[in-house]
Amino acid sequence: MECRELNERAVDRLTGQISPEAGRELEAHVAACAACRAELDAAERAWEFLGEDPDPEGTPEFRRRGLELLEEEMLRLRVRRFRPKPRLRWAAQAAAVLLAAGAGYFAASRRAPAPPAPAPSAGAPAASPMPALGSDARLSNLSYQSVGASGRIGIGFDVTTRHTVEGSPADPEVARLLAYVLSRSAENAGERSRAIELVQQHYGAGVTPASPDIVAALTNTLRKDPNPGVRKKAADALSGMPMTPEIRSAFLDALRNDRNPAVRLAAIETLAAAAKESPDPRTIQSLREKAVDPSENGFVRARAASALKTMEF
Amino acid sequence: MRRGDPEGAAALFERYAPALLRFTDRLLSDRGLAEEVTQEVFVKVIARAHQYDGRAEVASWLFAIAANACRDRRRKDRRAPVVPIDAFPEPAARGDGVERVLIEKEKREAVRRALAELSEEQREALVLARYHGLPYAEIARVLGISVGAVKTRIFRAVETLKARFSEGDASWNAAN
Repeated sequence: MECRELNERAVDRLTGQISPEAGRELEAHVAACAACRAELDAAERAWEFLGEDPDPEGTPEFRRRGLELLEEEMLRLRVRRFRPKPRLRWAAQAAAVLLAAGAGYFAASRRAPAPPAPAPSAGAPAASPMPALGSDARLSNLSYQSVGASGRIGIGFDVTTRHTVEGSPADPEVARLLAYVLSRSAENAGERSRAIELVQQHYGAGVTPASPDIVAALTNTLRKDPNPGVRKKAADALSGMPMTPEIRSAFLDALRNDRNPAVRLAAIETLAAAAKESPDPRTIQSLREKAVDPSENGFVRARAASALKTMEF
Repeated sequence: MRRGDPEGAAALFERYAPALLRFTDRLLSDRGLAEEVTQEVFVKVIARAHQYDGRAEVASWLFAIAANACRDRRRKDRRAPVVPIDAFPEPAARGDGVERVLIEKEKREAVRRALAELSEEQREALVLARYHGLPYAEIARVLGISVGAVKTRIFRAVETLKARFSEGDASWNAAN
């Protein structure tokens, strides 16, 4: 080994990455070279002295806050997935909902007179009244059955007739129809969701104020719909509306009772945003309870705590 | 964690946060800032979990993100590193006298001052080698440089430290 190789060998030795052979050569060289010995000693002393700085330890506060931030970030990434679908696709779906809903609504309320029934044969009881069947009527859910021993048969079916209702969102008829769809008519979660999306797009702060019927239908959906996705959508739609005691109360119920954490989180977001504008004792109390509830989901707990921090009491 | 599992993220934090905090603390010489940057690193990691290709050790991947985060933070701050020694958690005295505790504190301060005087590149390589025991190849991966460059940076860092101590730092002299 030569003197010019000292630096590299010294670093290898300090970092524990010197090969046994190179180590022996280094030892042999510094035993014979006082200058390199002095250099190596100085380097080793400097290296050792760095050990006088003991490893700092993380405080409990660092750990707590770090985990809290992670929960918030995971939550944020999850919430992103609830983005509404592209507008055009959504509009087509919403139109389909309106059409289907209109059918049920008007079929129920505007029945045309029944066509003349055939003359009953002598001695035989008359058939049940025939419903109005227009040219575009659709029969669904057909069933057949024998009725008693008289040889009569029963034919069961649902009748739907397509109607289209057009009007501005502010039109009371349109608003009433939408509330009807939300509260009763939509039969499955998909239809209910799309109806809510339609409401969300056309009603709320900055657009048409939602009618009391629509608000009532949405708060009812938030409280009672069996599908968590639909309840979440109802929460999203309500979050865009001006806060009222009725809406706040529905959100507080959702925060306390909803089984789905995403719905509870939506409730926290909306309640916290409203409380920042106008502090509400029930909201603050509910958030405090959630923030320390050991049985609560970690995301929900962290979000409640973080919402409280952003408020000024 | 890549599947969005919150428990996976928490486990990752529990396992690696202490080492990353030691790393960022020595790079930034500011405990509060180091805690903040370390927490940010894990938040970034969650968002970038899909980018981890498994070729490097998880620890190396985290160190690389942390080193970048420290550089970004220092660029933003544009101020010389300080050594707020009072912010360091004080080790337990364990019955030692006050004098002993003060000497240890002085030594720590001296080390931090010395580290703060190294260039950013030298400090990164030195800290990874000296305090985290990473082999050259791993340090090279973390810092995105060659193994030769790693050795050069460590060597220059050691040279700077030797020169500093030979000038007579009181704490250095006290320790030797």
